[in-house]
Amino acid sequence: MGNRVLLADDDQLLASLLNFRLKKGGYQVHHSSNGKEVKEYLQNEMPDIIVSDIMMPYCSGIELIDYVRNELKSKTPIIIISSAGNEQNVLTAFELGANDFITKPVSPTELLVRIAREINK
Amino acid sequence: MAISKSKDLLSQLSQLERTVGEYSFEDLNAHEAKALKDSFNSFRSSLEKHIYTPNLGEILPERTENNVINKKEVSEKQFIAHVSHEIRTPLNSIIGFANLLKDEKLTQGQHKKVDAIQFASNTLLKLINEVLEYSKISSGNNNFETVDFNLHSLLKDVMFLCETLILDRKIELLLDIDEDVPKIVKGDPSKLSQILLNLLGNSVKFVEKGYIKLEVFTKKRKGNDFLIEFSVADTGIGISEEKIETIFNGYAQAENDTSKKYGGTGLGLTITKEIIDKLGGEINIDSTVNSGTTVSFVMPYTLGANSSSYQKSIKKSTSTKDGKILAGTEILVFEDNKMNEHLIVEQLTQWGCTVHADIDLDKGLYLLSSRKIDLILMDLKMPGQNGFEVSKAIRNHKNNKVSSVPIVAFSADFTEQDSKDCKEIGIDDFLLKPYTLDELLNTIVKNKEDKKEHTDFSLILQKPMIEPKETTVVDLTYLLKDCFGEVDMLNELVKLFKLNAIEFIGNVKINIKTQNLKEIAMSAHKLKAGFAMIKADGMRNLIVELESCCKTNQPEKVKDLYEIFLKDYPLLEDNLNKNLELMNKK
Repeated sequence: MGNRVLLADDDQLLASLLNFRLKKGGYQVHHSSNGKEVKEYLQNEMPDIIVSDIMMPYCSGIELIDYVRNELKSKTPIIIISSAGNEQNVLTAFELGANDFITKPVSPTELLVRIAREINK
Repeated sequence: MAISKSKDLLSQLSQLERTVGEYSFEDLNAHEAKALKDSFNSFRSSLEKHIYTPNLGEILPERTENNVINKKEVSEKQFIAHVSHEIRTPLNSIIGFANLLKDEKLTQGQHKKVDAIQFASNTLLKLINEVLEYSKISSGNNNFETVDFNLHSLLKDVMFLCETLILDRKIELLLDIDEDVPKIVKGDPSKLSQILLNLLGNSVKFVEKGYIKLEVFTKKRKGNDFLIEFSVADTGIGISEEKIETIFNGYAQAENDTSKKYGGTGLGLTITKEIIDKLGGEINIDSTVNSGTTVSFVMPYTLGANSSSYQKSIKKSTSTKDGKILAGTEILVFEDNKMNEHLIVEQLTQWGCTVHADIDLDKGLYLLSSRKIDLILMDLKMPGQNGFEVSKAIRNHKNNKVSSVPIVAFSADFTEQDSKDCKEIGIDDFLLKPYTLDELLNTIVKNKEDKKEHTDFSLILQKPMIEPKETTVVDLTYLLKDCFGEVDMLNELVKLFKLNAIEFIGNVKINIKTQNLKEIAMSAHKLKAGFAMIKADGMRNLIVELESCCKTNQPEKVKDLYEIFLKDYPLLEDNLNKNLELMNKK
């Protein structure tokens, strides 16, 4: 059984590519395109790693980190996908407990390396 | 006298030849140089006189007083026709250059000024065309034809066209053809449709609500000779009694402010009356202010070769048998006359062609570079940019794919000079209007490019030749690598990308009206990643700029950038499709 990845990204295009690559890399992927759904999913199941876009409808990546760390009290690694020029957000994300971040445009290969590194820590 | 004028011209010419021959240019002294210059000048003014007052010399002396006046009128009208033609050429340049200017990066203020130039020159052009039309008709230069045509379907076509003119109002369009109106008659169908479109067009312009009704019935019949009455009744603003009397005088619109409110040059009805007069008909206006106008005219027709079933069967056999040859052919039609355009599109579509009509030069060039067009049909005598100019622009295009597409010209009159011009420009063939379906079919078959033979060759040639605009470049090789070379995945992603782009276009369209820049910025932000994935760096930069203009609250700039996006994105998508196609083949 491969590791379970929660992929939270409302950009269907990027999500499709990442989904494809993660599955090829042997991961089980749950993809969700809005923050509300992500929260509901997390109430029932905790994946091995969370990859989340910082900008999402209903619940931003920042809120998501806060929710996972402070409400669910989970230490599941979180990788944030951010856009260039959003450095302030990245700092906030780290302060709230994000483990790593990757900047758009996302290289799937790089993301897979970063995921593997977090999981094997 | 005309002969003596020409002799005059010739003697001026030979004198010029002598003058030039006698002197070697190196040792021209001031005096000789002046003589040469004078000679040139007098040649020029003589030539000018000859051109601009065509038949005046011939008429003036030996005729009777009355004749002189009549002839003078005719020659004045020919003069108008000529000058109108001459004015059109520089005016077309103005319009053309204004178009080009619009493509450059302009400030909002400059943009508005170019718009104003375009509007003014287009209005002027319309006016000149109408003056030309008027003078052509009244001087007898206009060609009238006598052919068998289906009156009923002409009426239906005309009504169909009118329907397309009414967009924003609730007006009922009614057509009532009495059963004793013959189907096939002999006469001039294009002039009849011109008259009807003119009258119906007027009604459409002046009716705010209510109906427009075209009634047709036989007023008199004597054997095969028919007197048919057409009446166009509307519930428009109406015309006051005293104005009706002057309404057929050129340039007189009912009220001084009419043109301001409703546009137009005021020549439409004058032209219509001239045509009707020339065809032996009669026109009448009956109107009540604020309740409506009825314009009716009677026109003589003779019964045509009444063999509608015969005609139909010919049409059928053509379209099923020979039409197959053309199935899948992609054709560009440059034709400004809506009626003709409608008919030709109809026919070509029946033959299974893909037709692009209602286009201007810009759109045409875009289609030519982005699609595989097999043939161009070109009306030579279009107002605005005429067929010669459009053809020239196509032939001079730097992209070989665009410049090599066969062009078939068509026109109602085709002079020696036209034939020369066609050759020079590189127009492949021509059709004289009115043409039969067989002629049309044969000419297309003869000239259309053979797809299979040329494809590979032109593809090879095309590659280094295209210099695509930065904002239309894409490269899918990286994304394909990210997909581990799985083309299916790539196709899926490209599909998603296109959806995103469409969503963006729709989103901006809505939010630009309400100036909701925050939403637009969000939308642009979302799209950036996609453009990065397909390595469309130029377009990505544009989107980045658009996003930042949203954030710095510059709605005008956002709008400008969006316009560029709208223009370039289709080109980008074409490149994307081509790129994908190549990968699908591999």
